[in-house]
Amino acid sequence: MYGRKGYQLLKDFASGEKGQLKPFNSKLFDETIEECDQNHHLMQSLMRKMQQEDLDVQNSRNADHYGALIHHLSLMRNKRCLMAYVYNRAEIVRDLAWRVGLELLDLPSEIQEKLTSLEKEYFKNHSVTLKSYMGKVGIELNVDMVPPKDPYIKVRILDDIDEGIVLSDKTTNFARHSMHFLKRTDAEPYIARGQMEELTD
Amino acid sequence: MASSSEVGGSSADYETMMSTSDVELLKRAWRNEKAAPEILQYEGALVERAKEQIELVEETIEDYVENGKDPLLVSLYQMDLDRTQFLLRSYLRVRLLKIEKFMFHNLKSEEAERRLSEQERVFATKCADDLAKHFEETVLLKLPENYQSVLKQSQISEVDDMVPQPHLDTFVVCRSNNFVSLNLYEEGESPETVEMERGDLYFIRYKIVKGAIESGQIDLI
Repeated sequence: MYGRKGYQLLKDFASGEKGQLKPFNSKLFDETIEECDQNHHLMQSLMRKMQQEDLDVQNSRNADHYGALIHHLSLMRNKRCLMAYVYNRAEIVRDLAWRVGLELLDLPSEIQEKLTSLEKEYFKNHSVTLKSYMGKVGIELNVDMVPPKDPYIKVRILDDIDEGIVLSDKTTNFARHSMHFLKRTDAEPYIARGQMEELTD
Repeated sequence: MASSSEVGGSSADYETMMSTSDVELLKRAWRNEKAAPEILQYEGALVERAKEQIELVEETIEDYVENGKDPLLVSLYQMDLDRTQFLLRSYLRVRLLKIEKFMFHNLKSEEAERRLSEQERVFATKCADDLAKHFEETVLLKLPENYQSVLKQSQISEVDDMVPQPHLDTFVVCRSNNFVSLNLYEEGESPETVEMERGDLYFIRYKIVKGAIESGQIDLI
């Protein structure tokens, strides 16, 4: 049945949690593309058959015309399914760039596994675009994602970060499970990546 | 937020300045932008002034910290600065997210293009190029020839039918600042009007209040 593979592809996408990616389903994707090719060949052969019978391809209405129409419609539907799949994944990729960080290597490895190399390319290009906009406007747009209640917050370190952290007013050694009193804008990128958690009590 | 001529002003001056300051305007622009389904006019002058004021207050705070002024005062200024910075950043962020969402539409519709700032236009073009390239490489080049367009379903389509457009029919909550009378339906159909007094809250379709928001008579909440 034409169109079933496209439907399965989209169902696979929808069955993941909203906002989370599943690994790219290349098998179904390629099968859908094959079906498109098939549709196209069949459609062309029907149209050629009509031409051979000297019928006007645009206007005559016989069984072949309708057959070609079905192939055309099925092709369009498959195209829309494929593009919807890619579009929605790209939306999630953009969302990741906003939430987690603009560097590809900052993404946790579980997420990196689920992206194809083309999607990683897209992520990189998009980060570059965002960074160049932020540079032109002169303001960083990645920090301050939630309205600030207090300028300083208490955080607990979850992963081993050690040295290499540059804060705006002091340098500290971050050992695992230690608690610190940091400026909100400094701590935000680490909280987004899951390396620190905010203590609210 | 202190203006440039009264940086060391007392707390009384500070209060009166807050009510008609740029912060209020920025807050209003931010609220409207957040609630509207499509992108609104870019408040270029407001953003510029806000940026300057933020820089000024940052310098003042550094000054105070070095001179050892009362740390409570410094942290109050700091909090206010943080809040204003958040407003500015969130305003720009909401606009960028809307651009990302309706990439192709913004570049096609002239009305939408006029509302973007220079840099936003560059961002939107580059974004659309990135996405088109991504589509081409992942899907379109593998499809047969007449079906390779990003914007049209196939060569046979007469208009670009694959462009998502903002939903102007969404309902929004709004409050009006003056007495306003609006047409409920499109022109040519039955001319029923809705009349809003000053301060009334209405839950109404965005399309109807669109013009009034642009002229500043109605605010979204």
